[in-house]
Parts: sequence; C-alpha cells; structure tokens
Amino acid sequence: MRGGSLIKEARRRAGLTQEELGERLHTTQSALARLERGRTEPSFARVAAAIRACGLELVPTLTAVDESDWSVASVNLRVGPDERVRRHQAALRFAAAGREAMRRGGR
Amino acid sequence: MVVDDFRPEAVLGVLANHGVRCILIGGFAAVIHGSPYLTTDVDVVPARDEENLERLSAALTEMHARAWTPSEPEGLPFDHSPRSLADVKVWNLVTDHGRLDITFTPSGTDGFEDLSRDARHLTILGVPVLVASLPDLIRSKEAAGREKDRLVLPVLRRIVDETGT
Repeated sequence: MRGGSLIKEARRRAGLTQEELGERLHTTQSALARLERGRTEPSFARVAAAIRACGLELVPTLTAVDESDWSVASVNLRVGPDERVRRHQAALRFAAAGREAMRRGGR
Repeated sequence: MVVDDFRPEAVLGVLANHGVRCILIGGFAAVIHGSPYLTTDVDVVPARDEENLERLSAALTEMHARAWTPSEPEGLPFDHSPRSLADVKVWNLVTDHGRLDITFTPSGTDGFEDLSRDARHLTILGVPVLVASLPDLIRSKEAAGREKDRLVLPVLRRIVDETGT
C-alpha cells in the first residue's frame, strides 16, 4: 500500500477536506493532493505525521509474506466477472456437497 | 494459457485416482464444516513418504500443474520430482481445474500423520476426500496467526461449540 493512499484513507475517515488537512500539516491542498495521488512518495515519518493530524495512529506490524490470497486473486483477474461468478458457483456446489456428506456422517 | 475451469472435485478426483494420500485443509475444509467464508482454491496436505510423492507428481502431471508466481499468474512449468516436491514448504499451483495449494506441515501441526488422526472420510460429488477436523483447522489457523485467520476463528469456534465437533 502506498503512503499517499493511507493518508487519504485517514483523512476521509476523519471527515477532513484536503484543504483542512493541508492546514494542519502546514502545506497546501495541491501538495497534499499530489501525495494522495502518488505523484510524490512521502517518507514514513511524513505519513505517520499526516495520519496523526487526522486523529489516528499508524501502528506498524511486521508479518510474514503470504501470497496465498493474491495467488487466487491474480488468477481471477485473468478472467471476466461472469467467469468469476461461475467459479464461485462451482465452489458453492462443491461446498454444499461437502456439507451434505458431512451431515450424512462419513467415517 | 488462462485457467478456464474451476472444479475442486476434479482436482481432488485426480489426486484420488492416483492414490495420493492427502488431507483437505484450508478454506474448503472449513466451509464443509460450516464456515461462511467461501474460497476458490483447494489446499491439501499430502503424506511425505516417497511413494506418495511419486503418486502426487504423477497427479500433478495429469493436471498440468504449473507453479504460480506473482509475475506469472498463469503459472510456470516446474520440476516436481518427489525430492523437489518435499523440499518446498508451500506450493502455490495453477492446474487445469483451478488453483491448488500443497503444504506439507501447516502451521501448528506435524503434517499428514498428525491431521489424519481426526480427519473425516467423506465422499463429495463422487470423490473420496479426507477432510481435516474442525479443531485441527482451528489449531492451524491459530498458530498461523494471520489477520485473515483471526477473522474466521470466532465463527469456527462457535461452530465447534454449537455442534460439539
């Protein structure tokens, strides 16, 4: 995730306009817009300060890389919405059959 | 090549037809136990003995399994000899029938032998499937500690409470 996106998310969550947050950060609305759009990449300290100015705290967490969800999403992105729905229908069909088998007991 | 099919029962059917000893875990196993979080990939834990790995390799050949990478979402051909299969902790694969993840020792478990103790033998859409028990799925998700696992754990625990699983 880009720093600018985080700032935008925090600003919107705080209900602030770019002008209002710009004032709090002693910068201009246009400079903030460039940050949020990713035209300029802010430092970590800058992102943390902007989020704090929105009344929120940036709490970093370190976690192991996990590609499992993205590996599914990236395959889904290769097909259109109709096919994505069809795949979920296939998943549902299998899941329903699995639950029915579980209900019957198995061993 | 775009994967144009998704049939979890076909993935598991090929594994079963080749006599691969493996246990269904992950999202599909949880859904079969009642989880509301649907997934579109199949996760299995195979036994690690060489004979089973040979059968697994043959099944992967039949499914035209390819290794998923961030830069090649349609997958790349890869060497899946028994030894090379066992050398990797997690395989994210793209097959003719959909996404397949292979893990030998899921977090918080000792792998196939450990999970097979409480697994359930089911027949799903005509395919024999060994499904990990819900307490084992919870144990593994708890140990993995990923955000997405933490989200699903409350409802899985409640299913255990409600069903006495």
